[in-house]
Amino acid sequence: MKISTKGRYGLRAMVDLAVFSGGEHVSLSSIAERQMISVNYLEQVFSVLRKAGLVRSIKGAQGGYTLTDEPSNIYVGSILRVLEGELSVIEFDNSECRNMIQACLKDMVWDRMNECLNEMVDSITLEDLANDYRRLNGFDAIMYYI
Amino acid sequence: MRDPLVSIKGGIIKMKISTRGQYGLEALIYLALNSSVEPVSIKNIAQYCGMSEAYILQIFLVLRRAGIVSSIRGAQGGYMLSREPSEISVKEILEILEGPLALVECIVEECEEPCIRYEMCSTRFLWEKIRERLDSLASSITLADLVEHFRTLDAMQNPDYCI
Repeated sequence: MKISTKGRYGLRAMVDLAVFSGGEHVSLSSIAERQMISVNYLEQVFSVLRKAGLVRSIKGAQGGYTLTDEPSNIYVGSILRVLEGELSVIEFDNSECRNMIQACLKDMVWDRMNECLNEMVDSITLEDLANDYRRLNGFDAIMYYI
Repeated sequence: MRDPLVSIKGGIIKMKISTRGQYGLEALIYLALNSSVEPVSIKNIAQYCGMSEAYILQIFLVLRRAGIVSSIRGAQGGYMLSREPSEISVKEILEILEGPLALVECIVEECEEPCIRYEMCSTRFLWEKIRERLDSLASSITLADLVEHFRTLDAMQNPDYCI
């Protein structure tokens, strides 16, 4: 079970975008500054997110990135799968069982844990995390309506 | 608007459930199935799992120290479960062999490099919720449940075989 730096930082950057874009484009340098992630790293992550259609970019002085959809329509699972691939709690290949105990473990443990993980990330939206972010960082209630 | 405190570190990621957890569980189910009459040797377990005896022994030393298995010395010696299979959960076994069921290190109590963004990080709620769900799932599954499912599979595979 692992979430790489790409998945963790990418998700944080998407929450930042959800909180700070308010219809406008947000520069990677401002996300980098707030989240303390290097611009270089964000460029790589955002190029993947853009190809997957989760964000779009505008070039130029007022350029930057914005979400392609409402944060309430973007599930955490979609972001993590773009950055991490299939989400699994195990590092080994689960598809082939060499004996019946392994088949038993696949049914009873690994498949159920993976199902649990995938259900969770597909039930939480970027909006949920953005609301938590606003609350934790003491933003005015009015920020919720921007 | 900026975060008042920031850090490059978002927590160190470790691979979680590895082959050690897999083979540990596999060996314990084997033990639960076969050690009710007499102890099972490391050799037999290693043969069944297709792993080296040294690897299985290494796992069993950890499990013995944690009170999951006991060893019996002598010619007919080997290992047995220390407790009833119904009293040993998958969560307990995996935590012994793999550590906490957390996808990220920063939410683990004994995290070696605490993240100073922790208090203002909203994504940690996600990782914490996932951990809670995985914990509760893994604690609801015991070795007895695994043995029972194994017997069901076995009966389907060998319909004439009488358990």
